[in-house]
Amino acid sequence: MAEAADEKLGEGKLDLVPMIDCIMLLLLFFILTTKFTSEEKTITSILPTDKGQAAAPSKPVEPPQMINICIYPAGMTKGFQPSEYFRQLNEMRAGIAVIPKAWIKVGNADPIEMDGGLLQKAKQGNQLIQQVEQVHQYLDQALAKFEKAGDRKGQDPVVIHSFSGMSWKYALVSYDAVRAYEAKISGRKATGNPSDFDEAREVDFAPPRIRDYSAKELGEELFEIIHMK
Amino acid sequence: MNHQDADLDLVPMIDCIFLLLLFFMLCGRITVDQRTEQITVPPTKTAAKFKDPQGWGREIVNVFGSTQHGEPPRNSIRVGTKEFKSQGVNDYTGYKGLRNILDQIYDKAEKYDDPKKTGMRLPKVIIEIRADGDTEYRVVQEIQQVLTDTLDLETMQPKKGLDPKTARAFVNIDFTTRKPEDK
Repeated sequence: MAEAADEKLGEGKLDLVPMIDCIMLLLLFFILTTKFTSEEKTITSILPTDKGQAAAPSKPVEPPQMINICIYPAGMTKGFQPSEYFRQLNEMRAGIAVIPKAWIKVGNADPIEMDGGLLQKAKQGNQLIQQVEQVHQYLDQALAKFEKAGDRKGQDPVVIHSFSGMSWKYALVSYDAVRAYEAKISGRKATGNPSDFDEAREVDFAPPRIRDYSAKELGEELFEIIHMK
Repeated sequence: MNHQDADLDLVPMIDCIFLLLLFFMLCGRITVDQRTEQITVPPTKTAAKFKDPQGWGREIVNVFGSTQHGEPPRNSIRVGTKEFKSQGVNDYTGYKGLRNILDQIYDKAEKYDDPKKTGMRLPKVIIEIRADGDTEYRVVQEIQQVLTDTLDLETMQPKKGLDPKTARAFVNIDFTTRKPEDK
């Protein structure tokens, strides 16, 4: 082998086999260790230090100067007892991994529907963009009705109440819509710096209401969120 | 044809291999960061790639959760190479593990006084919650309670009489997300 290589070198030919071996190994390494994912980004938030994160009371006192965004399983309407909501929930979840669709409403307004399947999968294209846009438009219109004179810090705080068993994505899409509305009204774009929140309106996620996932707790939580004003 | 004369022209093959190599080197991302879990994060319009402020650190908390079908609550939390799994109604292993890591981060971090004048010393660390879109709202919220050090992890009830002087709260949070138009 070495003689053959020497012979080729003598003829002015390079032995390319070792180089090809190395390149093949490099190629194999990159093929196996790389992944092609879209670059992730972030949306910033600040947690309150001055009011704790206590569990929400079972019968929440809702000060009128608070805007409640409520997220719960699609199809559940007002007017039932907690036990009935629990029954509906069980029926809805039979045989499926996650609650597929959510309704979102602001206070007493009529809800709009969010399709969880669209939000979860990548490469949904225009359908996903439209879905997100629909939530933004809905919350834009709803929040505009509560607009007060003064700076953003003085606006009524927004609290996002999601049923504990709902997927997290619905709450985050709603949070995004409120932040987008605030950026539009204030003209200030987020920079990712914690000081962004010094002059911003308060937007919080309500703490979970339940602890032991009993039928009573689940039904009561749904009842409270659906009837929230 | 003499067997010894049957030289293959390897140059086109080498060209192709070089092109492939270049493609993978430039387009791929080697999975050495903390975002190792296959998580589908929710889409948001205001998402952006922010640069951390000077002197601030960042920690990524990967989260899965499942409380569907009336099954007992479960969650899986991964920070760096450490992973904690909880299973069952009263299993808070994940939250306890997370809190232990947070305490270590808190001790090492540079701190500043809470601008809300609560007396707390807050660490200059941004916690990035990288939760799968189908993680239950409850799990993500409980993690936020663990971050603010307001939960008693033995009972999972809010702490009574929280002392701001000893509280080890992390309040600067980023939620990992993606643009709806990202392919």
